Amino acid sequence: MDLITAFGYTFFQRAFIGGLCAAVLCSLLGVFIVLRRSALIGEGVAHLSFGGIALGLFLSIYPLDTALIISLLGTLGISYMQRKRIVYSEMAIGIMISFGLGLGAVLASLGNGFNVDLFDYLFGSILTISADDLSLSVALSLVVIVFILLFFKELMHLTFDEQGARLSGVPVFILDLAFNIVLAFTVVVSIKIVGSLLVSALLILPASSAMQLSKSFRGTVAISLVVGIIAVVLGLVASALYERLATGGAIVLISIGLFLLCVLLKKIMGSEPRPVTIS
Amino acid sequence: MEEKVIEAKDIVVKYDGITVLDGVSLDVLKGDFLGIVGPNGGGKTTLLNALLGNVKLSHGEVRLFGTDLNKFKEHHRIGYVAQHAIQFDPLFPATVEEIVRLGCISRNNLGRWITAADKEAVKEAMDAVGIYEVRRRKISELSGGQKQRIFIAKALVKRPELLILDEAASGLDVSIQDRFVNLLRQLREKTGVTIVTVSHDLSSVMCQANKLAIVNRKLEMTEITPGTDPTKSLRDAYGEHFTFVFHNHRDNCIIPR
Repeated sequence: MDLITAFGYTFFQRAFIGGLCAAVLCSLLGVFIVLRRSALIGEGVAHLSFGGIALGLFLSIYPLDTALIISLLGTLGISYMQRKRIVYSEMAIGIMISFGLGLGAVLASLGNGFNVDLFDYLFGSILTISADDLSLSVALSLVVIVFILLFFKELMHLTFDEQGARLSGVPVFILDLAFNIVLAFTVVVSIKIVGSLLVSALLILPASSAMQLSKSFRGTVAISLVVGIIAVVLGLVASALYERLATGGAIVLISIGLFLLCVLLKKIMGSEPRPVTIS
Repeated sequence: MEEKVIEAKDIVVKYDGITVLDGVSLDVLKGDFLGIVGPNGGGKTTLLNALLGNVKLSHGEVRLFGTDLNKFKEHHRIGYVAQHAIQFDPLFPATVEEIVRLGCISRNNLGRWITAADKEAVKEAMDAVGIYEVRRRKISELSGGQKQRIFIAKALVKRPELLILDEAASGLDVSIQDRFVNLLRQLREKTGVTIVTVSHDLSSVMCQANKLAIVNRKLEMTEITPGTDPTKSLRDAYGEHFTFVFHNHRDNCIIPR
């Protein structure tokens, strides 16, 4: 299929819009996640969503709704365990990863016949994006973008220095919880494009690429957005041109290619300058 | 009556059942410069955390600007420089200006974008500590002393009435410390800001502060006036084998003339 023909199909148009939503959200949130050294949280929410999808397919209800509910409950559980210091943060996330995978595996084994559908959600499938999927993606994307725009400086403070943010009067726990909730939204938006197993790559790679090139926080966010959008668009185009190509995998491999390119560009541009002297 | 900026009454802080602060009381009045000294593990940083509401009190109460700490919402009146502020992630991509701008955030303006007045305050704060010309540099490109100035500027953005410094000058070379001392002096003269600083530098504290708090689980307050000799209290805290030499001039004590 050539590109012009692909854009003539409704499914590809939906995939393109949904892909852009996923790229923008993952690239935005990814910067905060990477800089807070909490990349594992993306993995945790993604695996929870896998359990949620399996639950939806098992109960024959809309899987993205159940993915959203289970992801939200899981993030609340992670926040609760962290807040009450029941376990370390990594352990809380690890427990939720295990729960999501365990739930998914058990329901997949019990529910005969939906394993093929589940595979689409695991690795993404642009062919299966429905009008409902797209509506949900756009609605959730708007919520996430408004949240980030409103609380950008507070989130940056939280990311840079949590104690300092708290002392400034930032309600750290509430903001952190809200962030985890919008992260659950982001994962759900991205599932149909890259799949629940590859979402965390889209969260980590654009931000990691941007960090190679930018000196400023805003610059990092901007470059992350550009890298994320390029990766998703190229991945979608590649999977339109080569129909057997898995979109999610293609997007992730392109993201890795872009990351390596950014590392190379940083090397070419020179290493960190020496400390400057000021009077 | 002079306004009490900080009022702590009989506070007790325990970590895992171990008493770290035991019945500490102190008053800090508007315009005071309180120096908190004491041996490592004596509870200096815990005292600051207790005054800022970062640790749970087992007993006692703290009032900031006359308001019970649990009801205190006017965080914009306080500037704080943390003990390890400059030990941030060296990979963190942020410019000097972006970090100083974080100082604009307070409980009163959550979700509000930076205003022109905020930008002016950020510029003023960077000017005050001499980092305006490097505002577009990545923070990790600056040296330790220069990084410290970023965090002091961040604390100054809100034009705080109370500035709390937790070993803010530690790790700075003497020339930077000298500038830092002068900066604090100018700030006090210009704005009348109340300063509470934790320091291991007894010389610096004795020269700048008008009140000395020696913390070693308990707290002993001393007014610093010409002729003050807190040797006994310091020996109680640090050990009998130390000799403390005090002189009466209140100029810059870091670089001997």
